[in-house]
Amino acid sequence: MKAITLKPVHLRKLAAITEVKGKALFSKNFIIMPVFSIGFTFLMDLIYGNVAGNAFNKVPMSAYALAIGTLMNISMMGIYVAAATLAEEKEKNTLRTLMTSSVNGLEFFLGSLIPVVLMTVAVNVICVFIVRLPMTPVQWAGYLAVTTVSAVIATVVGMIFGIFAKNQVSASTITTPGILILMMVPMFSGLNETLEKISGCFFTGITFDLVANIKNGSSLIDTRGILILAAELILSAALFLFLYRKNGFER
Amino acid sequence: MNQEYISIRHLSKKFDRSFVLKDVNAVLGKGEILGFLGPSGAGKTTTIKILTGQLRPTSGEAEVLGIPCDRIDERIYEQIGIVTDTSGVYERMTVYDNLKYFARLLNVPLDRIDPMLKRIGLYEHRKKPAGKLSKGQTQRLILARAILHRPKVLFLDEPTSGLDPSTALEIHSLLLELKKEGMAIFLTTHNMDEATKLCDHVALLNEGVIVEYGSPEEICLKYNRIKRYRVQLTDGTKLTLSQDPDTAGRIMIWMKENRIETLHSCEPTLETVFLEVTGRELK
Repeated sequence: MKAITLKPVHLRKLAAITEVKGKALFSKNFIIMPVFSIGFTFLMDLIYGNVAGNAFNKVPMSAYALAIGTLMNISMMGIYVAAATLAEEKEKNTLRTLMTSSVNGLEFFLGSLIPVVLMTVAVNVICVFIVRLPMTPVQWAGYLAVTTVSAVIATVVGMIFGIFAKNQVSASTITTPGILILMMVPMFSGLNETLEKISGCFFTGITFDLVANIKNGSSLIDTRGILILAAELILSAALFLFLYRKNGFER
Repeated sequence: MNQEYISIRHLSKKFDRSFVLKDVNAVLGKGEILGFLGPSGAGKTTTIKILTGQLRPTSGEAEVLGIPCDRIDERIYEQIGIVTDTSGVYERMTVYDNLKYFARLLNVPLDRIDPMLKRIGLYEHRKKPAGKLSKGQTQRLILARAILHRPKVLFLDEPTSGLDPSTALEIHSLLLELKKEGMAIFLTTHNMDEATKLCDHVALLNEGVIVEYGSPEEICLKYNRIKRYRVQLTDGTKLTLSQDPDTAGRIMIWMKENRIETLHSCEPTLETVFLEVTGRELK
């Protein structure tokens, strides 16, 4: 597939692709991911709620459940689903048909990205209501902004994996190590100083820390965190663009 | 020649060190069907990929609707339809929704979908998921999607390969209708009957080289060196006779006696021409 340079986006085409891709997320292949994240958050909150015993102790435990749920959702939904939906288009030979039906690369990219990001953000919001973590409007704004940026980065990373995946099975195989690293390092960052430093360099780590900061009532995100998120957003987009221009969506 | 929709001049394509297309020339005008006929690996699909902008040629020129193939973009894709062996359908979506999706992408009025479904015989299946269709029905859906926006040029890569004869006949009828409506059709096939029946011109392609080019009739007549008749008499006798005055006399007598069951001339088929020219069969 030839590489295509940036071209104008037709809203009509973008809307059609977004709608079809959005509906695909509700198929049994993909809906398991958000359901799993929501279920896991609910279960963690339930277990931690019982362990915490009283309302005073429950807030930090709920925040931890939310942090893990959000982490899981961003990693699995963003990375795996983005990679697998792209791989599925290749596997079923619909991608080539689309790209020779007047859809340009940017329209396909945005049409694939938007529903995944929207669903990721929606699940992140549902997780907050599940754990009933009290948040001020500013904290809500910060939470939404950071998780949205993280979801975008995860989705772009997922589409990079998707370029290399020939089918859904290979998408699952090649995304698993990345998902595990992006999830596990922040989850265990409290155990080790090195892990904490590494976690601080991941968008998932920054999201994880944000939830902890919401719980503590401290500053949501520092300048370093914002710069890292911006850098990872730019880097992932640049890497995607480089690979896409070199190979298109199919290696 | 009508208005030229496809023009191929000295087209060559090399993969690694070997040529898969060598100095290919062809033209296709409005309301015509051009067939590229050859066995697997002859370069037919490569030609379609170059013409539809999916591959760049090594040398030579090819234009579709006046646009060089290496500059084909979505504006041209809106005027062409493509059916290849790698065309897929959205299996979870219904037949109707598959067409609706592409209608939206190609800015086609949605009220064109039902007539199209009726035309290709899938109207009764419009609410069925595309993944539940048979191979022939899926191929018809792919074809419907490719012509939904009424393209000027239709590319078909082995459109009836692996289909049952009745579905293949339905597709042939549809292609002839589309031709009458002015659509230019670029067809690749290794089925010589299909090429003879549908094509105005055929290019016999062998190892990337066009070994014969012209109308099927012209090509067959050109190689009709051993002029013979095949006769079956009413008593079951089958004879192959050379074309000469003696044979003419015998046939006239049999006809007077009403003894002829069937009488055929024995000009070569595209398949036998291909075999004679290349030493290979069209498989």
